[in-house]
Amino acid sequence: VKFSYNWLKDYVAGLETPPESLERLITMKTAECEGTPEITLPAQVLEVEPVPGSRYVKARIQTRVYGERTVVCGAPNCRKGMTTLYGPIGKKVIQGVESDGMLLSGFEAGINDDTAGIYEWQPGDPEFIDAIFDIDNKSLTHRPDLWGHFGMAREISAITGKRLVDPVKPSLIPPGESPVRIEIEDQDLCPRYSALVFDNVTIGPSPAWLQYRLTAVGLNPINNIVDLTNFLMAELAQPMHAFDRAKLRGATIFARPAKSGERILALNDIAYDLTPSNLVIADARGPIAIAGVIGGAESAISETTTSIVLESANFQASSVRKTSSALKLRTDASMRFEKAQDPANTTRALARAVELLQELSPGIRLIGGLADAARPLRPIPPVTLDLDWLACKLGRSLEAAEVRAILEALEFGVEPTAPRVFSVRIPSWRATKDIAMAEDLVEEVGRMIGYDSIPPKPPLIAATVPPEDPRRIFLRRIKSAVALQGFTEVSNYSFVSEEQVQKFGLRPEDHVRVLNPIAADQSLMRCSLLPGIFSDIEENSKHFASFRLFEIGNEIHKRGAELPDQITHLAAAVFNREGDGAAGLFELKRLAEILAPGAGVRAVQAKPYEHPARTAEIFWLGEGIGRLFELHPDLAKRAAILDLDLDRVLALRPAQANYQPVRRFPTSAFDLSVVTGLREPAGRVLTTLRAFGGALLLSIEFVRQYTGPPLDEGTQALTFRITVGAADRTLSADEVAEVRTRLTNGLFEKGYGLRG
Amino acid sequence: MDNPLLELERSALTRIAAAANIEDLEAVRVETLGRKGALNQVSAGFGKMAPEQRAATGKLLNGVKQNLERAIEQRRAEFESAALRARLDAEWLDLTLPAPGTRAGSLHPVTQLQREIEDLFTSLGFAVLDGPEVETEYNNFDALNIPPDHPARDMQDTFWLEGGYLLRTHTSAVQVRGMGRLKPPMRMIAPGRVFRNESVDASHEHTFYQLEGMMIDREVSVAHLTYFMKTLLTAIFHRDVTVRLRPGFFPFVEPGFELDISCLICGGSGCPVCKQSGWVELLPCGLVNPHVLRMGGIDPTEWNGFAFGLGLTRLAMMRYGIGDIRWLQGGDLRFLNQFGGAAL
Repeated sequence: VKFSYNWLKDYVAGLETPPESLERLITMKTAECEGTPEITLPAQVLEVEPVPGSRYVKARIQTRVYGERTVVCGAPNCRKGMTTLYGPIGKKVIQGVESDGMLLSGFEAGINDDTAGIYEWQPGDPEFIDAIFDIDNKSLTHRPDLWGHFGMAREISAITGKRLVDPVKPSLIPPGESPVRIEIEDQDLCPRYSALVFDNVTIGPSPAWLQYRLTAVGLNPINNIVDLTNFLMAELAQPMHAFDRAKLRGATIFARPAKSGERILALNDIAYDLTPSNLVIADARGPIAIAGVIGGAESAISETTTSIVLESANFQASSVRKTSSALKLRTDASMRFEKAQDPANTTRALARAVELLQELSPGIRLIGGLADAARPLRPIPPVTLDLDWLACKLGRSLEAAEVRAILEALEFGVEPTAPRVFSVRIPSWRATKDIAMAEDLVEEVGRMIGYDSIPPKPPLIAATVPPEDPRRIFLRRIKSAVALQGFTEVSNYSFVSEEQVQKFGLRPEDHVRVLNPIAADQSLMRCSLLPGIFSDIEENSKHFASFRLFEIGNEIHKRGAELPDQITHLAAAVFNREGDGAAGLFELKRLAEILAPGAGVRAVQAKPYEHPARTAEIFWLGEGIGRLFELHPDLAKRAAILDLDLDRVLALRPAQANYQPVRRFPTSAFDLSVVTGLREPAGRVLTTLRAFGGALLLSIEFVRQYTGPPLDEGTQALTFRITVGAADRTLSADEVAEVRTRLTNGLFEKGYGLRG
Repeated sequence: MDNPLLELERSALTRIAAAANIEDLEAVRVETLGRKGALNQVSAGFGKMAPEQRAATGKLLNGVKQNLERAIEQRRAEFESAALRARLDAEWLDLTLPAPGTRAGSLHPVTQLQREIEDLFTSLGFAVLDGPEVETEYNNFDALNIPPDHPARDMQDTFWLEGGYLLRTHTSAVQVRGMGRLKPPMRMIAPGRVFRNESVDASHEHTFYQLEGMMIDREVSVAHLTYFMKTLLTAIFHRDVTVRLRPGFFPFVEPGFELDISCLICGGSGCPVCKQSGWVELLPCGLVNPHVLRMGGIDPTEWNGFAFGLGLTRLAMMRYGIGDIRWLQGGDLRFLNQFGGAAL
């Protein structure tokens, strides 16, 4: 929302705070404000030539911000060499000549009441002529009253202590019957609908001061009537709409839900299909406006309009918001209504219109009095404010008089009901949803005393040890362990594309889908970290001959209608441009063993993206916890990948076992060289040895693998060191020999040979 | 004429001194002190000596023997230490060569910063909680006093998922989970990944990290909130940081604030980074809205709280002077390898 400094000054008597200071004050006490200095600037008139057949001149001017411009000016004092004021209000043709913006009188620029000619700028006059404060809409979400200049002026008045000047004269609305009747079908959706009818309207351009003001805050001047509605919206935060009365059928205006199949051509020349969830304003024939959002084209003001119905209504915030989001149509009106406007404001805006229309459309005539249908305005319950509680919330002592002055400056009613207890009456424009409880008043007082007046203070808190989360500790340690092993942590998006997942043999339909993705290639939630890791490998292989990287992140898995499952995985990769790739795989195997001590691997069917002869499942304590593989050479050069389900690892992690006494008797060891077929996995031989080992077997250690003479071609020898022993004695030679015999028999039984 | 024993001693000592190596020395030892050596031959003649001569010769013999043993031992020690010196010298190693094996990798800068902050808050008695990245609309919005059709929903462009779920737009979604798990008085933080449906450019990301903080106790004030924020930021930036609060609207706090810190680049005098204001907007915070406490099952007439939401990604950018947010999501090792040395 934009605010013009000069416009605000109209409602704050004697405001002298310069724009820069005011901007800071508003930021510290109301809402963050970004000022743009000087939108209207002193401009030097370089050259003047008459426009034939008129009192106008064509002037070439020089401005600091906009450079050279050509404008058409009708002021008698426009002359070469003078310095005056320039308003960048758009291009239009005057007397057949294009004018790019215009030169302004003091009145038009909002700096004095002089209308006799354009402003004579003198050295010593302020550098700025107007300043625009821009406040992010989001920070005014809770303040419907601040969507107009008068509301912001009230804040400034409270901040500076200068008197607030209300431009509205409610008495301007005469008593009497209105020629139109209002019928509200649902008063929850439309708490109030007020209207005035005018005759003898002449349509034409607005005076320059009005055009300038609208332009300054980003609204386009159109004609005097439309400009009036926009002016009132920007002044009082009350969105308005004017209908051409001649185009309305019947004398009743309905506020009702749209009927199925109803359609309206709106002012933006787009036709909208309506549903019963859209509230419309309708005449006897059908919709003439989408309530609180936009007017209809058929009943719009045109050059031939001579009679108008001026609407000033109040609509339910959530209904307007729903309609505006459903139609994907956000307007200045809908943005204001969805913040919950004050129903008491409708007639104020109409009274102000009566006054302004006298100037904007001379000769205009008000027909009858107010048409007004409303749900009885709800009483606003007062809020009890305990000042000691307030001081406790803010963490600072407070004088009752100080609090009272602040609240009254913001037009709250204050009634002391007990020592240091106030009953606070909430003004209607703050009561629609902004303020309803004492906590809301903490903010009012806090921001006005200034939060910088509250010194930081350490709290008194119980000395307790925070509850421990074993999962967090585990994940944190794993991250460190993997990094210490040489891997660099990466952080990939949670989004993947259909193409990416298909490359990894996953089906798009198994993924949780994003309904409003930022791009088509980010439409699925990852249920594997691998696509991300793969593109990291691809990218980094352009810059590095070898690298290690890892990610710990969540896989998102569908779980029917329930909240999707989120499984934390580790994906680690080793890339080497050189070499046969074995080193990387074993490095990752070692990494798995560090994280899951004693984990083993077993053969498994390779997936399409895995090297068919270099893929294994990692298992631990009898359960699969992940996979170790080389990427299929179709995908990348020699990249080894480890993918571990850390939630499984965590669940399987055994508790630290109790201490076992250190063995007192010596152990014995002997080697066995097992002869097997060439691709017999050592892990399988090991399993056999374990199975036949018996109670005296303590450990089996792999020593070496050998192929070559004197072994037969197509065989290998795998040598293991077997250690045996007992807790209570030294084993005899016979006992050791017995274990050896049992092992060799077992090996023969499984078809293995023995060397030596 | 000299006693032959003394003659023997003299010549042996000369040979010991002249021995070129341990073998020469051993030969001298065998010839003089060995079983069949010269001294033993002298003692073999004892039987033929007169008793008084035997006693004198025995005494002399012992003296010579001890002298020779000592001399041989000393010479042997010389040879051994020379040999050790030679061996050690031969074992010279060029320790300027690089160590084999892999270098330690590194943790992501956001991880590093997150850990620092976690440790700080843990030391202040805060629990560290996790929440899911895929959330319910209730936890992300409704429970935070942002009902459907509330314009505050515009403040965070949301990624919606099939099934009515969403990607959490802020770690504030962990507030209601935390209140359900920990009973007041409670202190918690919740770091994690959040998502906003925004196009990506140098200063906007749809995926980034936040850290939510919440404290609920009998008496919690704006002064306490400011204290914690100042403590936090001073610890993060390793210097005294000035903070200020100004009004900010967030439906889950009342009052709500934007917290600014004095610009770390110019120290508050004004520079392009702080747009000449001397202040940099850092984090939203406030006192917990009673509606939120109620939705967390906590009685707001008994308990009060503060909450804040720290932008971890943004803070990491400030800490490390990273000018483009896009570096932080992805896997470019040319960037990430710069954050080594802190893998623990």
